[in-house]
Amino acid sequence: MSSFLKKQGAGFYVNILAVIAAVAALITMVMCSTISEGDALNSFTLLVTGAVAGILLILAALYASNRFGNYDFVSTIAVMAAVALFSAVICGIIMSRILLISGLFSWNSKNMVGWQVFYASVTSIVCYVVSIVLMIIGSFMKTVR
Amino acid sequence: MRTGKKPLWRGLTVLFTFVFSLTVILGVVAESYKATIDTALGTLSETFVSEDSPENPLYNKFQPSAELLNADGTGNSHALIQKAIDLNRQQAAEGAVLLKNNTENGQGLPLAAGSQVSLFGIRSKVSLIGSCFGVTAKGPYVSLEQALSQSKTDFKNTIAYTFNKNHQTGEYSRGITLDSWNGDEFEFEGGGFGVNPVMSEIYGKLNETYLHAENETPDENYNPGEPSLEEISDVNPAYADSFAQYGDAAIVVVGRPSAESKDYLPGSVVEGLGAEEPLQLTDNEKDAIKLAKSCSDNVIVLVNTANSIEIDELKRDPEIDAILWIGFPGSYGMLGVSDILCGRVSPSGALPDIYAASNMSAPAMQNMGHFQYANGEEMLTRGAGKTGGGAGNYIIEAEGIYTGYRYYETRYFDSVLGNGNATSPVGAYASKTAWDYEKEVSYGFGYGLSYTTFTQEFEGQPEIQVTTDPETGVCDATATFHVKVTNTGDVAGKSIVQIYGQAPYTPGGVEKSAVQLLNFDKSDLLQPGESQTVSVEVDLQYIASYDSAYDNGDGTTGTYVLDPGDYYFAAGNGAHDALNNMMAAQGIAPESLVGASNAAMAVKTAITEDMISKTAFSVSKTGEKISNQLEYADWNYFQPGEVTYLSRTDWAGTYPKTYTDMTLTSQDLIDKLNGKYYTIQKDDDTSDIIWGADSNLMFHEMYGLDFDDPKWDELLNKMTLEEAQYLATFGGPSIPGVASIGTVETYMTENAGNGVAVNLNASKDPGAPWSIPASDPNGNWHPEIFANAPLTAASFNPDLYKAVGEFIGQEGLFTGIPILWGPGLNTHRHAYNGRNGEYYSEDPVLSGVAAMEFAIGALDYGLIAAPKHYAFNDQETNRGGVAPYMLEQRARETELRAYQIAFEATKYDTEDFDAGMRGLMISFSKIGPVECTASPEMMTEILKKEWGFKGYAVTDIYDDTDLYGAVLASGATCFDTRGISGFYGSTTLENCSTFATQVDGSKVSAKLLEGDAVLQNAVKDSCHNILYALSNSNLVNRYNSTTHIEQTMTWWRAAYMAAMAVFGILLLASGAMYVVSSRRKEREVQ
Repeated sequence: MSSFLKKQGAGFYVNILAVIAAVAALITMVMCSTISEGDALNSFTLLVTGAVAGILLILAALYASNRFGNYDFVSTIAVMAAVALFSAVICGIIMSRILLISGLFSWNSKNMVGWQVFYASVTSIVCYVVSIVLMIIGSFMKTVR
Repeated sequence: MRTGKKPLWRGLTVLFTFVFSLTVILGVVAESYKATIDTALGTLSETFVSEDSPENPLYNKFQPSAELLNADGTGNSHALIQKAIDLNRQQAAEGAVLLKNNTENGQGLPLAAGSQVSLFGIRSKVSLIGSCFGVTAKGPYVSLEQALSQSKTDFKNTIAYTFNKNHQTGEYSRGITLDSWNGDEFEFEGGGFGVNPVMSEIYGKLNETYLHAENETPDENYNPGEPSLEEISDVNPAYADSFAQYGDAAIVVVGRPSAESKDYLPGSVVEGLGAEEPLQLTDNEKDAIKLAKSCSDNVIVLVNTANSIEIDELKRDPEIDAILWIGFPGSYGMLGVSDILCGRVSPSGALPDIYAASNMSAPAMQNMGHFQYANGEEMLTRGAGKTGGGAGNYIIEAEGIYTGYRYYETRYFDSVLGNGNATSPVGAYASKTAWDYEKEVSYGFGYGLSYTTFTQEFEGQPEIQVTTDPETGVCDATATFHVKVTNTGDVAGKSIVQIYGQAPYTPGGVEKSAVQLLNFDKSDLLQPGESQTVSVEVDLQYIASYDSAYDNGDGTTGTYVLDPGDYYFAAGNGAHDALNNMMAAQGIAPESLVGASNAAMAVKTAITEDMISKTAFSVSKTGEKISNQLEYADWNYFQPGEVTYLSRTDWAGTYPKTYTDMTLTSQDLIDKLNGKYYTIQKDDDTSDIIWGADSNLMFHEMYGLDFDDPKWDELLNKMTLEEAQYLATFGGPSIPGVASIGTVETYMTENAGNGVAVNLNASKDPGAPWSIPASDPNGNWHPEIFANAPLTAASFNPDLYKAVGEFIGQEGLFTGIPILWGPGLNTHRHAYNGRNGEYYSEDPVLSGVAAMEFAIGALDYGLIAAPKHYAFNDQETNRGGVAPYMLEQRARETELRAYQIAFEATKYDTEDFDAGMRGLMISFSKIGPVECTASPEMMTEILKKEWGFKGYAVTDIYDDTDLYGAVLASGATCFDTRGISGFYGSTTLENCSTFATQVDGSKVSAKLLEGDAVLQNAVKDSCHNILYALSNSNLVNRYNSTTHIEQTMTWWRAAYMAAMAVFGILLLASGAMYVVSSRRKEREVQ
């Protein structure tokens, strides 16, 4: 294990951070969908599937880099797919939340449950964005030494 | 090992994948909410296209009046704004109520021409003209100071502010309602006064820190923000030097805001202000009045509020010479206030709400605010859906029918007669030893003074006409009162004729108010010495009482009864005066009364069974037999004996207690609170319900057809079930198109009751010949400018209500809006409701007549007025699903009666035309434990069957979207899905998050109703109602056989598409470079 870790470059660790951020995004997304029945995310199963697939793709990219070397096609395509999937998940969250948010900032500002959902949703989106940014940074870097 | 530029291209490829994805997200979101974006940005991403031809003429069904058009038929924005100014000015001039006027020694009102006056109170500088949320008065306005002293608008520099809430900190900041005004200015005849510039400058300076706005909101820990004398002095220590020059009169303005979503709450006022309640004057406000007294011997107080401020001490203060209530006068209403102050117009308004010495003395106040079931968390599984409020909130409306003046006047009547422990101190706030009307009430409902004097005399006995349809049993019984009004004073003026009634009460029997308004009208402008006979027709169904225990003999219980006996009718200057007149006619000694009395202004009419049957009004105007529908509104229906309702039999013993921590024990009650109303069926036989039938009939051919015309069946059968479901689901502002009948997705609905909330140059119907182009200098004029509802109602002038409705109907033509979410039509249960500024009055007849006239006027120009919030929105606290428990008698005689009057619109019914309102917005609140939206009793039995409603009945925003099947089944025609558009494309029944979670576990889809005959019939009926309403609206102006939608390239659409293209290219380019660099690297390695 230690020899494996010694072999890894900075890109590996950045992508691991991306996985951690994505897991945090997934958890907060589940939370934001379950705080209140009235605020469940639409197509929730699809969104969870997309997020999990994205996480697996990042891990697959790390594996591919170790197998095929830095900057290989497989890991690049996997990372691109993960970025696209997370973007789609972000889009899904926004689409489910946009009316809630518009209400909170206008006619329904006293919706305390809504504010909890809002904060959880924003946290989730931020985590997804952080994960994507880390993937972008990692894609400039070597995964293996 | 060298990697060359491969890492760079790889990184850029991933980067542009993300940026490109962002542009796609942006595009998807923007297209899904394009209608909302268009409204916000003033763009038009879809164009409604119809070809005008002699065979298919457009814009020939509803047109603005000629005075608002140029000679070539194009719109005249200047004339439109001028008309708005004139009407709003008249609203204030006729609605402002003179409560006190001490004219001895030349004091009081009106002020002498050319008076030099000083204004006091920060509300004199920043007067409330609307609400920060709900009915906001927007754009350029005329301030009090300008109206008093100037002769031309200064719109460029006088634009109304509103409050914006910082949702992070909960603090408010000011936001301007219009960025700038570069349009026309308008000349007017002002008050002709000189206004003290020193005080004006001081308050202006102070407002740089106080940040008051012309549209504000109540708050739960309220502070009116009146500066202290020290603060005034700090700005200019020599301010008092100006009083000598500007001391002809001192005008003090005190105000309290009113707005959507926030109430005043009992005892909720910032500590240290010298007030125990938010509607009491604070020390600083009293100091401002003292300062006014030091400035002038003539002190005038303007009461700038929709919620009754406690002003008893001002009434009794001999140094206060005049009190004028001005409500929220709207953008130009200060001109009308100025007309009164200078004597150009004699006041003729009357109070739409009673002014009690202490608002807490209203029995309704015992149960107002935040209440939660003791075991709600344990028993309730249903949340409050999209609104997010607590599911376990309730209020017990134990006051029964005794709200507003009905309580004070009835208790007064009983106290004079010594009945029912009425003089007990229980419920007394202004007196400790006994309940005393004189101390408890400052100004009664319907009261108002004038600069002149009038006499009112009955001309003969009332003409009573009773006809009963032998087939349907419908009884039309009216009493027409002819009242000769004579101006006996020195100046011209108008006089209101208010007709009140009293039904015979038997202790222990059905509760009855000792006095209730039955109808009213207003005289023309009468010159001194001039007389006019004003005839007021009273529909006697409104003096009948709802007896929920009456055995109808057909297995049902409860109906309206008209007990045989002596009925009294009286005219008077308000409810108290009329009651005194009745009591005088009953032989009660004048000295035992509070105030004057005149027996000649009351008539006794003995109503016998032979004359009008006791159950004459047990059949509605539509021929529907009336019986109990809302038994479940009563808490005792579920858990008997736990609530005591206020009764005249024992005022002291039944005076409401505060019902806190009610415990849910009834399973039926718990089930209803959990939304178990309706189970969607899967296997019904639906073969006899026709969908998708062949026909050439199209929507544009339905204009003018009767609701029962057989062509409707043909049109409705032509629709597919899916089309019908879309139409019955998405209720606007964007409404789905129905391809089979030739309708297209259109933006159709907007707020509010004081004007259409769409800028003049952002019309949703830019193809109209009168549409105001973007280049018009007045194009950014916003039509929400009129006075708030209480001031509107206070004119007691049906013609004026209708004139405003007609004008707003024309606003609908100019802005391309066929459905207006307004006016507000709930009745005021108490003074603390934050929404009181949006609802007319505590009285259902005044409210109902005002709304009816408005709606009839608007419909003349094709605008459907959809009053809100049907019903029982008695407080904004916990409005998202609060359960108000009450007796059915209270529900029918107070809250629902206002709607009944507006919907039945019997005044305008003819043999050929069933007049009435064509729209409705349903309340967030429940009725008892049942959501109003999901109550078949509310939405079908009462609304449609009893009252004959035909039209668009929408939920409030996203309300009860977790009860999809139940709401469809109840008779509600659609959900308010504000912000949602792009139907059948970006928005489908399946993907719409608004309906994602259902209480019954069902999944909303186009297949959901396939096995449910009730719901299929319900959506068909909803489509019938929606399309019928629209076919008689201004929407039909632009429909013909060529109608279709064309997409247009708005700037925001071009922007995201360009971004998508640029980043798509960059993605491809970087990807290509990555591939090339990879291959090159491979070659280098080989």
